[in-house]
Amino acid sequence: MSVAQFLAGLPSFNESNFSKYHTDSNIRSSSKRPSVYITTKDYPVQQVITTERSSILLNYMQQHWDRKAVLRKREVTLSEEPSRKRQRLTGHTP
Amino acid sequence: MSYHYVVTAHQPTAVTACVTGNFTSPTDLNLIVAKSNRLDIYLVTPEGLRPIKEVGLYGKVAVMKLFRPQQENKDFLFIVTYRYNAMILECVSSGDGFEILTKAHGDVSDRIGKPSETGILAVIDPKARVIGLRLYDGLFKVIPLDKDNLELKATNLRMDELHVSDLEFLHGCANPTLILIHQDVNGKHVKTHEISLRDKEFVKMFWRQDNVETEASMVIPVPSPLGGAIVIGQESILYHDGVTCVVVAPAVIKQSTITCYARVDPGGYRYLLGDMAGHLFMLFLETETPEGGQELVKDLKVGLLGEIAIPECITYLDNGVIFIGSRLGDSQLVKLNTKVDENSSYVTVMETFTNLAPILDMCVVDLERQSQGQLVTCSGAFKEGSLRIIRNGIGIQEHASIDLMGIKGMWALQANGEKLDDTLVLAFVGQTRILSLNGEEVEETDIAGFTSDQQTFYCGNAIHNQLVQVTPISARLVTIRGKTLVSEWRPPTEKNIIIVACNESQLVVSTGNQVYYLEIHSNELILKGETTLDVEVSCLDISPLADSSVADIVAVGLWTDNSARILHLPTLQEAYKELLGGDIMPRSILMATFEGHDYLLCALGDGSMYYFLLHRESGVLRDKKKVTLGTQPTVLRTFRSLNSTNVFACSDRPTVIYSSNHKLVFSNVNLKEVNQMCSLNSEAYPDSLALATATSVTIGTIDEIQKLHIRTIPLQESPRRIAYQESTQVFGVITCRIDIQDSTGLSPVRQSASTMTQAVTVSSNASGSAVNKSGGSSSVVAGAAAEYGQEVEIHNLLIIDQNTFEVLAAHQFMPQEYAMSLISCQLSHDPATYFIVGTATVNPEESEPKQGRIIVFHWSDNKLMQVSEKEIKGACYSLAEFNGKVLASINSTVRLFEWTTEKELRLECSHFNNIVSLCLKTKGDFILVGDLMRSITLLAYKTMEGSFEEMARDYNPNWMTAVEFLDDEIFLGAENSFNMFVCQKDSAAATDEERSQMSHVGHYHIGDMINVFQHGSLVMQNIGETSTPTRGCVLFGTVGGAIGLVTQISQEFYDSLRDLQSKLSSTIKSVGRISHQFWRAFNTDIKTETSSEGFIDGDLIESFLDLPPEKMKEVATNLGVTSEHLIKTVEDLTRIH
Repeated sequence: MSVAQFLAGLPSFNESNFSKYHTDSNIRSSSKRPSVYITTKDYPVQQVITTERSSILLNYMQQHWDRKAVLRKREVTLSEEPSRKRQRLTGHTP
Repeated sequence: MSYHYVVTAHQPTAVTACVTGNFTSPTDLNLIVAKSNRLDIYLVTPEGLRPIKEVGLYGKVAVMKLFRPQQENKDFLFIVTYRYNAMILECVSSGDGFEILTKAHGDVSDRIGKPSETGILAVIDPKARVIGLRLYDGLFKVIPLDKDNLELKATNLRMDELHVSDLEFLHGCANPTLILIHQDVNGKHVKTHEISLRDKEFVKMFWRQDNVETEASMVIPVPSPLGGAIVIGQESILYHDGVTCVVVAPAVIKQSTITCYARVDPGGYRYLLGDMAGHLFMLFLETETPEGGQELVKDLKVGLLGEIAIPECITYLDNGVIFIGSRLGDSQLVKLNTKVDENSSYVTVMETFTNLAPILDMCVVDLERQSQGQLVTCSGAFKEGSLRIIRNGIGIQEHASIDLMGIKGMWALQANGEKLDDTLVLAFVGQTRILSLNGEEVEETDIAGFTSDQQTFYCGNAIHNQLVQVTPISARLVTIRGKTLVSEWRPPTEKNIIIVACNESQLVVSTGNQVYYLEIHSNELILKGETTLDVEVSCLDISPLADSSVADIVAVGLWTDNSARILHLPTLQEAYKELLGGDIMPRSILMATFEGHDYLLCALGDGSMYYFLLHRESGVLRDKKKVTLGTQPTVLRTFRSLNSTNVFACSDRPTVIYSSNHKLVFSNVNLKEVNQMCSLNSEAYPDSLALATATSVTIGTIDEIQKLHIRTIPLQESPRRIAYQESTQVFGVITCRIDIQDSTGLSPVRQSASTMTQAVTVSSNASGSAVNKSGGSSSVVAGAAAEYGQEVEIHNLLIIDQNTFEVLAAHQFMPQEYAMSLISCQLSHDPATYFIVGTATVNPEESEPKQGRIIVFHWSDNKLMQVSEKEIKGACYSLAEFNGKVLASINSTVRLFEWTTEKELRLECSHFNNIVSLCLKTKGDFILVGDLMRSITLLAYKTMEGSFEEMARDYNPNWMTAVEFLDDEIFLGAENSFNMFVCQKDSAAATDEERSQMSHVGHYHIGDMINVFQHGSLVMQNIGETSTPTRGCVLFGTVGGAIGLVTQISQEFYDSLRDLQSKLSSTIKSVGRISHQFWRAFNTDIKTETSSEGFIDGDLIESFLDLPPEKMKEVATNLGVTSEHLIKTVEDLTRIH
């Protein structure tokens, strides 16, 4: 496949673009500057970008703690039946 | 305290990013180019690129992306600055213009985190769900783009990969999915990560590809339906979509490194790739569709399209036209052709965009001796290296010249009724000569109906195919067809005509006090009005204003009472009278329309000029202003250039007057003296001017009108240092080119300035004995053959003619010997002027150079001779002439060498108290040293002891890039976090300790790295009635290609400007909502001030003139002055650059 084939059918969004470009052998050197945009109108800002201030370590721990907590809760619900084992209240029998 | 005014004379031009999309409206195709802190918005039109607006930001653009939000029909702009301000901008039309709305903004920095070495990376999900930012190692910040929330809450995600070279979002994924290239101890790998926005975590890895090429540095996401991504390496290109993996290693890409790309098809089959050598490639994804299956990438094809400017970014515009943004050279508009040209290239450069960046060094010279400085910069790098000659004003390109003495007037005619001028009428005392222009031939001719034994006062084409000639005797009307006189009008009294003004259909003449108004009709001149004034007329004008072809008023300048008057036509009744004051009379008067405003210009006999706004109907003059254009009587003439009205003021300092931003600008023309001028548009000389001096007529074209005129001298290698030698009228320039080691030795990669000159001398290894004693354990001996294929920097000293800019000679330094510094100076009692070069022998194994030389060259009789050399133990970073001796900064030291009668350099004394002494400046017996990291030190030379004494030091850790004396006690420094500061030595302090500490009295964030400071000015001194209290002027050049200046102002003026600045910073709404105070505040890694101190931001002050009049008034009222006064103050300030 030749380079010329690569270049066939380059996209065109509007056929007229660059169609009237003056191709007077010389390369145009442009240093014309457009006017500077200045506005004095105060448009209300719609959105403010903020950074979550909490540290990623805390986030991580919290997320994982939450998950663990969920798991633990399940454990707790599972173990709601009265335990057959009783806490030994008395000391060791001699 | 210190009070300074800093302003940009030439905005940065290095392009760091460019994007294409529908920004200004859903149907407009826009190109947006980021240049440091400025955005240029262009519209793609049938005629080419049309610049529509320049937008200034209070931050340097790090990343700029266009994206299409969901449910929008146009694109929004996302920008992150180097100081971590993020913004989303939308463009909405408003009236006949548009407004740029800040849709969202915020600070995305974190208090902790190590900024990544690969810089700020920002990516936007193809479905515009999230923006991703990689600012710090190990963190990935996600900004969800939620339209309804008032707050866009950015969250940091922990990223296991610490060293990420590049990342992107993949297309066609259910959840935003990243692809990244990262590096670990084992090499480079590609990974994908799916982001869960709910859990704020990377949840899943779709696929990975370990151990891709070690130089892989760029990832290109491929749009759906193909999907996947392309990974670009140094030698190979890889496509991967999780299933298929295609790798190719095309030979064409190996020469250099691909640094940027542009997608061509929306479907993502073709990509343009640009490399560091300026090659443009096309990458093509070849696909196949198995039966019943999905389209798959089968192969990758790469073709070399041709050579372009070294690209920083590329974007595809439309119909095969692309924009190449360059940081190191001129950016380009390039057309891709399907047919190969004679240079086997598929690209044609359509347009170039001047870029001065990076400015490495510069010098201020006055080549034309017009007491106006020109700046010559070392600009660009590698094949884009060039010298740029920058001068304020405009130039005339001379095309033809005829020797003729004593021309009193000059007019171009279309004597045959064609569209083009074919005749030039020249007036002399007592006679008139007519030249016919036949192609490039000029011959004397006659026009039958004209008289040639009188001086012509006016000549021109008139309506009804007629010509008019006015002499002291009469006004003559001549037909074009038969060239016969059809009507002649003589003044009713026996007086001669003295003054005339005429347009196509109207004529006004004066014989002294009398003024006659005539109209030109077919075959007759009809007197329509006459009047007698109380004093004699000295000048007249009847130019029609704006687009009309008929004048309603006539402007008159008068002797004796020195007034300018406006008379109504046809009655010649006085409409307005303005007494000019003073005792100099008006000599030339002109009405002209600039940018929709009507003006009256009135030039006086002493070279000064008044100008007024003219009310067309009433004739009332207001807003009187005065400017000094020259020292001789001035003649005003209009001409048209680029569809705008311009006025040429002929005098001993010819000036072009035009309007920019609705204010009149006076631009010097680089011609010595012009007495008369006229526009000329002939077949051989289209859009030209004919200019008469005392002895000749010159036909030339005028440069595109602009304040700073830039001429480019391409060197095609990197210029590093420049020095001007007035006595021999040459520049010395240190350059660096790249040679490649091949089987026959070193050979240049391409032809460039140092290889194309005939006279090349070489520093042989033998003479540089120093090099062979290279430091300590080093096994590398300079000059030893480099490895095959290795690139070697070759440094040269070029001698360049100041007029022709031809390279007259080159001296090549040894391989591994880098020329670091250059000065031109006289030494001791030696009458010769020398070029002195400081070098370093660079050995890759040494942490800093241990060897170097200071070499003294003499340029005479077109020969460059080495006079002397001195071995030194380190790199000579900087040189300065110091009381007839040579001052050098060598590694950490500052050393003084005296010039002996045997023409040798002998060390006199040294100073050791720095890390690396990078820059030196001298003033009298004082030396200012800029250190790599220890800010500024002031040394004094003790003549009696022959030693240095450290006088004072700034103890702040600043990494210096340039230093300069402002006066004996105030010093200017620039450092590498884009700040500028002023240090003061307090000589009056009580204790030694206090005296030895400099205090920071000013600091300012310039937003660009300053490489060089130079005392000098770009404008002609004393032009205009500038009452601006500025003192001194230091010019600076930056890495971004900006030129600016710093000048001292009084405290009083500072205070008033500070008030104006603070008023403007609240009146002018910042695009992106970054506060002006934040932007200009000194800021480094370790120190952040809350606002600038001791500096006025001239860029903001000057933007006052761009405000609508009612806002100007509001600002002025707020400050308790009239807006006229404020405009004048600010206009005066604009004239210092």
